[in-house]
Amino acid sequence: MAQKEATVYILDLGRSMGEKDYGRSKTNLDWAMDYVWDKITTTVSTGRKTALMGVIGFRTDETDLGGLVDEEDGYSNIRCFSPLKQFLLPDIRELQQQIRPSGTNNGDVLSALAIAVQMIKTQTYNAKGMKLKYDRKIIIVTNGTGHMDTDGIDDMAAAFKEDEIELTLLGVDFDDPDYGYKEEDKDLKKTQTENEEILKQFVEDCGDKAMYGTLAAAIDQLDIPRIKKTTPVASYKGSLTLGDNENFDMTLTIDIERYPCTAIAKPPTASSFVVRTDLGAGPGPSTQSSATITGEDHAPTDGNLSAVRNQRVYQVENPADPGTKMNVELEDLERGFEYGRTAVHISESDANIVKIETSASLELIGFVPEEKFDRYLPMSKTNFIVPQKANGQAQLALSSFIHALYEAGCFAIARLVTKDLKPPILVLLVPRIEPDLEALIDVELPFEEDMRRYKFPPLDKKLTISGKEIKQHRDIPNEELMQAMSDYVDAMDISEFGRDEGGEKTEYMPFSEVYSPLLHRINHIIRWRATHPFDTELPPPPQILTKYSAPPGELLSQAETQFQALKKAGDVKKVPPKEKGRFKRSRGADREKPLSGLDVDALLGNPKRIKIDAGNLVPTFKQALAATDDLEAIQSAADEMASNIKSLISSSIGESGYGRALEAIRVMREELTELEEPEIFNKFIRELKADVIGGKLKGDRREMWWRIRGSKYGLIDRKRCFASDVTEDEAAEFYKAT
Amino acid sequence: MADSTFDNRPGEEEEDEEEEIDDSSYKTIKDAVLFAIDVSATMLERPPKSEDKKADRDSPTSAALKCAYQLMQQRIISNPKDMMGILLFGTEKTDLGDGDTTFQNCYLLSDLDVPSAQDVKRLRDLFENEDEAAQLLKPADEPATIATVLFCANQIFTTKAPNFSSRRLFLVTDNDYPVKVKQDKDTAVTRARDLYDLGCTIDLFPISRSDHTFDRSKFYDDLVYPSSPSDPDTPIAYASTTKNVKSGDGITLLKQLLSSINSKAAPRRALFSLPFELGPDLRIGVKGFILIKRQEHVKSCYVWVGGEKIQIATGATTHMADDTARVVEKFELRKAYKFGGDTITFSTEEFQQIRQCFGDPIIRIVGFKPLSMLPIWANVNKATFIYPSESDFIGSTRVFSALQQKLLKSKKMAIVWFIPRRNAAPSIAALIPGEERYDENGDQTMPPGLWLVPLPFADDIRQCPDQGENLKASEGLVDIMRKVVEQLQLPKGVYDPSKYPNPDLQWFYRILQAMALEEEVPDKPDDKTVPKYKQIDKRTGHILEEFSGAFDEEWRQQSKTKSKPISTGRKRTAPAASAAADDDDEDDVKPKKRAKKVKAEPASQANGDDGMTDQEMADLNDQGKISSLKVDEIKKWLKARGEAVTGKKPELIFKIQAYLDDKGFK
Repeated sequence: MAQKEATVYILDLGRSMGEKDYGRSKTNLDWAMDYVWDKITTTVSTGRKTALMGVIGFRTDETDLGGLVDEEDGYSNIRCFSPLKQFLLPDIRELQQQIRPSGTNNGDVLSALAIAVQMIKTQTYNAKGMKLKYDRKIIIVTNGTGHMDTDGIDDMAAAFKEDEIELTLLGVDFDDPDYGYKEEDKDLKKTQTENEEILKQFVEDCGDKAMYGTLAAAIDQLDIPRIKKTTPVASYKGSLTLGDNENFDMTLTIDIERYPCTAIAKPPTASSFVVRTDLGAGPGPSTQSSATITGEDHAPTDGNLSAVRNQRVYQVENPADPGTKMNVELEDLERGFEYGRTAVHISESDANIVKIETSASLELIGFVPEEKFDRYLPMSKTNFIVPQKANGQAQLALSSFIHALYEAGCFAIARLVTKDLKPPILVLLVPRIEPDLEALIDVELPFEEDMRRYKFPPLDKKLTISGKEIKQHRDIPNEELMQAMSDYVDAMDISEFGRDEGGEKTEYMPFSEVYSPLLHRINHIIRWRATHPFDTELPPPPQILTKYSAPPGELLSQAETQFQALKKAGDVKKVPPKEKGRFKRSRGADREKPLSGLDVDALLGNPKRIKIDAGNLVPTFKQALAATDDLEAIQSAADEMASNIKSLISSSIGESGYGRALEAIRVMREELTELEEPEIFNKFIRELKADVIGGKLKGDRREMWWRIRGSKYGLIDRKRCFASDVTEDEAAEFYKAT
Repeated sequence: MADSTFDNRPGEEEEDEEEEIDDSSYKTIKDAVLFAIDVSATMLERPPKSEDKKADRDSPTSAALKCAYQLMQQRIISNPKDMMGILLFGTEKTDLGDGDTTFQNCYLLSDLDVPSAQDVKRLRDLFENEDEAAQLLKPADEPATIATVLFCANQIFTTKAPNFSSRRLFLVTDNDYPVKVKQDKDTAVTRARDLYDLGCTIDLFPISRSDHTFDRSKFYDDLVYPSSPSDPDTPIAYASTTKNVKSGDGITLLKQLLSSINSKAAPRRALFSLPFELGPDLRIGVKGFILIKRQEHVKSCYVWVGGEKIQIATGATTHMADDTARVVEKFELRKAYKFGGDTITFSTEEFQQIRQCFGDPIIRIVGFKPLSMLPIWANVNKATFIYPSESDFIGSTRVFSALQQKLLKSKKMAIVWFIPRRNAAPSIAALIPGEERYDENGDQTMPPGLWLVPLPFADDIRQCPDQGENLKASEGLVDIMRKVVEQLQLPKGVYDPSKYPNPDLQWFYRILQAMALEEEVPDKPDDKTVPKYKQIDKRTGHILEEFSGAFDEEWRQQSKTKSKPISTGRKRTAPAASAAADDDDEDDVKPKKRAKKVKAEPASQANGDDGMTDQEMADLNDQGKISSLKVDEIKKWLKARGEAVTGKKPELIFKIQAYLDDKGFK
């Protein structure tokens, strides 16, 4: 559980914040708000009810103290925009309307600070004046040009320490030696320089947790993704044993606990919604997300979406009327399993019969030398195995085991059952010893059934059909290529390409510096859209997310020579696009030949016309098309195919012939696309659709149409074949209309 | 049920936003295998009787049937939606089901379909019941022509599995020239081409006799095509198809046949086909294959028990708007993110832009590192196998081969940026070299290539929970433990997955099969993952004894120097359960029930009125179970012995241990 939080933002809304300085395209305020909005939306995105935020502006036109102090004297031009509360999307929208530079430069940041402290105190002390457990934070963004009344500033600093309020003060264009930031024409803004000094001293007096910095540095930091911390939850607490301690004297048992070591952080998922119908068709008021989108793809606006519920219906084959389905009620259904196509019913009381009886345990099976273990076998995320908390003996025993594995250069194989009656899995146990960490790492290993034994030809030699070995072949690299590859791989080594803070050589792109691109991209864009509902152009992903998508440029230029040599030796060529169309294809040559290379067409005397045989439909159709490039012959083959497909449908008992018809349609569609004669197919499929839906093929054949639709065997459109005059929209429409 | 398996070849639809590589789409390639087994005098000939237990007893035909039986059972587990059928040819009997006699001397033993429990039983009965087998496996005087067999297969595939994207004919025969005149051969060649055009593959499993080596080039090379429709661009590995099974050799015919059939058990199909960028403008083509994947058993489903026959109920989902309960079509659905109590939404184009802003699908090398920079703790998921393909770039294979060999030689890996397909999340992966491996018969056991091992992002790495204090074992203690590690090496020092069938999966299907056939349910699983206790005791018992002594000594010293008391841990068990089956030859003992009993012990004793005796407490201490006692119980026990009862639980436990030590319990 994360700690409760109370954070107050103090924003400088003075007239001078509306100026654009140092050639920036944004006003000072907009620039500062980039930071503030990011902070606020990050908190909102957690959805935590206990993360409270308040917003106070100073140097505002109005004065509104939100009832926090009785007397307004000395608190003029301060406005409380929002009390401490959980922020929701509408709060963001409301605040956005209100935040803009005022017409005045009057208003004291220190007075605003006093209000903020009061705001936090009111919230974080109970009625009896007891301090509640809260993380208290105040974040100030100002350009420091306003007048400040420094009376009582020391008392205030003391109060910060006492109330444990974390103060962060960010100055627009403040000097920051750490950041190497030094404004050169500061003379023009004398007040700013003086104020900077005062504020800096003040922040220093507010305790260790207080921070003072320049806004530019804070904004730069925004792009560095924040990593969500997760509380470790043990997936197994029990013992690690060697031997059977029930039946043998000497066995080893160590109390251990198992915690996640890696776990994939998933990006937020979008849920399904449907546009509310009761609100009418008009677009929402202020929250229209994208003005350019119209019609079908009209983006629904916030608040206009309704959640979607799923409902399941169950069907079985009707015993009274084979070939048809009937709906069944959930209460007539029981649990079962499929064994092949046989249904096996397992009653509630027998539910455990298919489970293997196990009890929670982690048992050692044996050991393997590290270097003989295939690194590609592990198939899961990993876990830490650590001694039971506050158990010295377990610590000592596990430590001896970890070091023994390490010194012997071995891994252990063990059988893990995380809970009674859970299936056993095999895990690899690997020692991990680091300065402040000593643990075993476990990772799941495959069982026999998990391995697919596909075979692939060797890469370093070629075997002929007769089994002869060839060492020289276009698929086998020659010495020149081997050398070029070796040089290139060595030149592109990045194990020491990185630089640490001291400029020393270090590993390039260590795990800790590579952030999940999609996760942070989606989080980033959701937050962005929350504050930019009207923008139509999405911002590009932050550079840090794409940094590791390609080799570093510096390295590439260093390895240029080796790379050119590799390119030359490799001599890779792109395969030209396949020739299509009935005239362009080279007949015969394209036809696949059997292993012996026998020309089957020649064997049959290269017939010019092949008759379509209903009993051998697909092969004869393909052969008929292969034998000719005469349009008329193609048309007649297609016609015969068409009539065969129709008769397959019309003679089908129930749905029995639909599968064959569908396959024939698929082949016809593919072949005619290949020949670039889409019109022949399109004409046929239009007719077929009319016949099927119009009931002209002996009975109700609508199910056949659903299948054609489901398989997307409709019109061939332009995207699929350039010779088609059917647009993509037209093709999509074809599926819809009935 | 049967219908729903039919529409399985949807068009290339634009995928919705999918989170990961979609393994399920990889599985949806449906496969239909028809076994065609030659029944002839030579195929039925049994090997000479031998005293050797391991010698062959099967005729080639019966070995083939046993293979089919095993494959059928295996496929029910691994590919529950796939079809299988068995066709005998050359039999005296002719029957294609329901008395169909179109194809002379062809007998359809099991129709092409998803196997049922009855199909499994029928096949098993055939080699358990010799009379029935003898009647059925009778060769005809005039054997079926091979052209007939091929056309018969054509018809079976066309009608039974019309939309299957993978359809394979497994032909088992010992006859390398099954025709008499050239004309018959020409007919066979045409029929084979028909099958090819239909989209079916012929996989030949040739059998050599002791006096005759099967020569593929005489006939079958004109019938078999080099590529398969489901895996068109990757060359087939010839090794598995050319290997002739010779009867009478050391290894049994059945085993050999099984091994070559197993390598073809599932159709190979690429998970993705991608450009692989080695540097700017240097791209080659590669394909990715899943070679390792957790095989789960089928999920439970609803069965309808309202009729005479139990039926599986198929479900269909409809979407309804929550506010109006209106039925919603799929195209009406909108995706939105929940944010601040509301929704944040994007247009379809924007959704695409968000996901696709990282560029096109690719594997791109960022640089190279030594393999030692890939610690096991950094594993996040299974590895994908990568093999070159010439279909987009000529020269891919040689460049890929050079890279694989270099990485093997220098023990290096490539770090790559990897987007498996459009809309998929980009990831960083290590490309590590995989060496080709063979078994003692020269059959490939591991293919040569590269493995794509996904790496964790900073976001995926968790912190290890703090363990408080930090006791470290001394060198002496580690040295003893090291002997245990060295004593208990697995055979050949390797982890071989094929030695460990998944006990849960096997048990599940054994029970299910028995229930489907209404046979007696077995009572004991065969679990190869249970450690070999007897062997462990034999090899390490004496070392553990030594360790135990050294440990106690070290513990005493380390805990003395620590000011903070520590609760107990157990490092060896009480010798109470000395009913050790030392002279028992079996490795399997039944620890489960006993284990439960032991667990119950502390609880039952704690509930006792009199409290525990010193001996009982000492036993508990040895078992490391003291910490499971409640503070109240501990205090009661200590009080009864006149000890002080102040302090927290760990301190109290320490007091018990000190007390026991003083009393001489150890």
